[in-house]
Amino acid sequence: MNAICLLLVVLIPPLAGAVVALAPWRRRTHWMIFLEFAVVVNSVLVWLLLFNRPADTLTLIHFTGELSIAFRLDGLGTVFAGLVSFLWPFATLYAFEYMTKEKHERVFFFFYTLTYGVTLAIALSDNILTMYCFYEMLTLATVPLVMHTLSREAVLASRKYLYYSIGGAAFAFIGMIFIITYGDTTEFLLGGVLNMVKVGENRNVLQFIYFLTFLGFGVKAAVCPFNSWLPQAGVAPTPVTALLHAVAVVKSGAFAILRVTYYSFGTDFLRGSFAQSAVMAIVMFTIVYGCSMAVKETHLKRRLAFSTISNLSYILFGAVLMTPLGLVGALSHMVFHALMKICSFFCAGAIIHQTERIYVHQLDGLAKKMPKIFGIFTVSALALMGVPGLCGFISKFNLASAAIESGNLLSYFGIGCLLISALLTAIYMLSIVVRAYFPAEGFREETLEGITDPNWMMLVPLIVFVILIVGFGVFSAPLVTLFKDIAGGLF
Amino acid sequence: MEEKMNFILLVPILFPVIAGVFLVWKREFRKRRNLLWFVGTALLITGTFVAVNLMGGERRLTAFYLTKELPVFFKLDALGRLFALLVTLVWILAGFFSFEYMKKEKRETRYYGFYLITFGVLLGLDFSGNLITMYLFYEFMTLASLPLVLHSQTREALMAGLKYLFYSFCGAYLALFGIYFLIRMGNTIEFTPGGVFESGFLAEHETLFLVITMLLIFGFGVKAGMFPMHAWLTAAHPVAPGPASGVLSGIIVKGGVLALIRVLYYLIGPGFLSGTRVQKIWIILTLITIFMGSMLAFREPVLKKRLAYSTVSQVSYILFGLAVCERSAFEGALLHVVAHALIKVCLFLCAGAIIYRTGCKRVEELVGIGKKMPVTLWCYTIASLGLIGIPPTSGFVSKWYLGMGALDSEIPIFSWLGPMILIISALLTAGYLLPVTMKGFFPGEEFVCKREKEPYLMTAPLIILAALTLFIGIFPETVLTVIRTISGVCI
Repeated sequence: MNAICLLLVVLIPPLAGAVVALAPWRRRTHWMIFLEFAVVVNSVLVWLLLFNRPADTLTLIHFTGELSIAFRLDGLGTVFAGLVSFLWPFATLYAFEYMTKEKHERVFFFFYTLTYGVTLAIALSDNILTMYCFYEMLTLATVPLVMHTLSREAVLASRKYLYYSIGGAAFAFIGMIFIITYGDTTEFLLGGVLNMVKVGENRNVLQFIYFLTFLGFGVKAAVCPFNSWLPQAGVAPTPVTALLHAVAVVKSGAFAILRVTYYSFGTDFLRGSFAQSAVMAIVMFTIVYGCSMAVKETHLKRRLAFSTISNLSYILFGAVLMTPLGLVGALSHMVFHALMKICSFFCAGAIIHQTERIYVHQLDGLAKKMPKIFGIFTVSALALMGVPGLCGFISKFNLASAAIESGNLLSYFGIGCLLISALLTAIYMLSIVVRAYFPAEGFREETLEGITDPNWMMLVPLIVFVILIVGFGVFSAPLVTLFKDIAGGLF
Repeated sequence: MEEKMNFILLVPILFPVIAGVFLVWKREFRKRRNLLWFVGTALLITGTFVAVNLMGGERRLTAFYLTKELPVFFKLDALGRLFALLVTLVWILAGFFSFEYMKKEKRETRYYGFYLITFGVLLGLDFSGNLITMYLFYEFMTLASLPLVLHSQTREALMAGLKYLFYSFCGAYLALFGIYFLIRMGNTIEFTPGGVFESGFLAEHETLFLVITMLLIFGFGVKAGMFPMHAWLTAAHPVAPGPASGVLSGIIVKGGVLALIRVLYYLIGPGFLSGTRVQKIWIILTLITIFMGSMLAFREPVLKKRLAYSTVSQVSYILFGLAVCERSAFEGALLHVVAHALIKVCLFLCAGAIIYRTGCKRVEELVGIGKKMPVTLWCYTIASLGLIGIPPTSGFVSKWYLGMGALDSEIPIFSWLGPMILIISALLTAGYLLPVTMKGFFPGEEFVCKREKEPYLMTAPLIILAALTLFIGIFPETVLTVIRTISGVCI
């Protein structure tokens, strides 16, 4: 396909969003149908692009020398773009139903759809400058979504989000400058672009710069100690927390780290260095920390947010193994975690929407009234724990085998951290399930009068996700082969 | 055997699971009788399928692939046959016992649903042909049996259920650490008698494999109630309804034993373990468990808890036999698997029958119970004698082999310390089991009572189980021939 389509998929969502926000719509249904249509068309276009990949790069603006804003679709971008464009239409559908109880809907949907375009732009970036620009733009586009309710809590949360993200981007900026200075090119090439002649004596400096860049992009991927914005940002409406704070935004952080690790600094340069040990230690700590906090947390959405923190670090753990198999593990967890977490978040959202209950201890006996939601929630909980037969097991297995294969002793401890985290996941997820299905004695069913499962707009996305969770759990061979090709530079 | 008939292997696994899921989904039956007919038929049909499978020759079936290197593969070998036969027998008997017992309980449909699901999962565990398949069913065994523990939904049951869950998953994840390594290091993960690793390879990675073995022993040991991870067992087993405690204590703990046999004797190979520090540590732990379990049972006033402590002690007899890595000890261990399963189920069913009829839970309340319920108490007594190890009961034969095996082995100190502790524990067993018989049959002169009605649905399973205990004790060769075919290829 023509490379111009790469620009098209980035532009359609903001334009459609603008039309929704600005045009004088008579009825809610009309703009809903329009927006859903636009999003679906865009996703179809993205998937067409993925299967008929344009070979050339699309340069939009050429600043000077190496610096340009350009789009290109490569293996890693394929995975992220495919993931995002698959989830977005479903999340939009879900959001229509969820947002009926909220105000300023059309503004919300403008920014929501705008984010779609920006995220795709990150996935399609050809070089580090482009990625950096859109990365900053992602922060700005999502701040209004966090702030949406305009409550004091929301304003504080979005301020924190803004400070953290911009601060992180500053670190990333340093990394970008060094790549531009010491690299052959600013493009992303598997294996890295550093010019060893230019680097010369400065190996240690550059490894330290990698560490800074990791932390910088790590802010969005919520690595410890820069994670506190994520649970707080849970005040946003659930479609935002589910799609942006479990998939699009946070995975952009992870995606950026994958890019700089495998495609800019290069794994050969980093493997075995102190920078690798340092980032691995941070990641391992975050894995355990996130889960422990999730066990402690009683607010349902915040609990899931802490779980996201831990699971994002699974992806980063794969990334910092710095082997091709590590990349496979990271990619598979990126995709599978997206499915599982969006599924559990949507369930949480459905519970909030139907019952306005937000704390775990308020969920006693609800499963009887909302059997579909809790059935789906249970599957996603089991998948997150890594029960074999569901997709979470596959990605954890890939991560663990990569860790074993890497032969790095620290990574053996990493497997330990994965398993501790799996146990903690069992605790914080299944205690919800047990509570909902087996309320303790003295529970009065009358208190749940009138509560039902939500309507089809909420259920359809959930059912699709749950089918995929099980489907990839029992049959993931094609996807994992694709990841292996990407990691081997074949795709 | 023809290739196309192999799918029969899946039928006894899937059929009860489907029937169980149907029950859980349906929630209510209009008439209790219909439910009982349904469950009874399902149990018997599954039994028939198992019998068809056991009668046939060796079957192998690769169901599907999780990823390329992880096939879900079933195989019917001698060890699997033995366990499957045991599971089926006990499950059908305890199932019929439930028909009477569960009359007084609420939410019967759900109970039977999960009872059937667990049945199918256990058969899957027995038929597993490789490591990953076994792990899959191992996890599902925990999950499917959890509702049996939670059944009464009292605070106590909920806490016990969560404890069960966390200990089990803790164990499963410890084992998973080892499993990851076994999958990556070995050429195959199919169970092969005698192990799949070359001794040279094992010697090269000795430290790593010792750590793995230790983790596997600890991990699967949790399910088998090995010290120091036994605390869940005495909390979880007694709170379940009578027949469920029976199968939990008699059969499900054996899941841990089966898993240990599979990884140690069918993957790593017993040759590797013998003479190492890990073996010594394991033996010490089992001996501590044997002694401690008996002591704790001795001072426990509640009958069902006393039986649960007894399980802790008795299952470690089996583990001791496995740890010795000697042929007749191994045979003794397998024989004790059979003996203990039948005996413990019988004892728990007796306790259940007593609670059902009289509501008495504590041992001191059981004065004169032999006058009220003679058949039950006779069965209790025979099973008790079996557990103590008095000829002519099955317990005697198994303990004989265990003791002989330990004496034959050339492990310093433990070759005589082991049998000694077995004997001390047997004494304690007599001390905690027989008072019920004595007080029950000889309540004293002034005691008057009338005989309770003992429904045949309760007495028949008890009589069959007690008779089997005697039968195996008198004709041990019937079981031993099967066991010898297993031990012949393993050691």
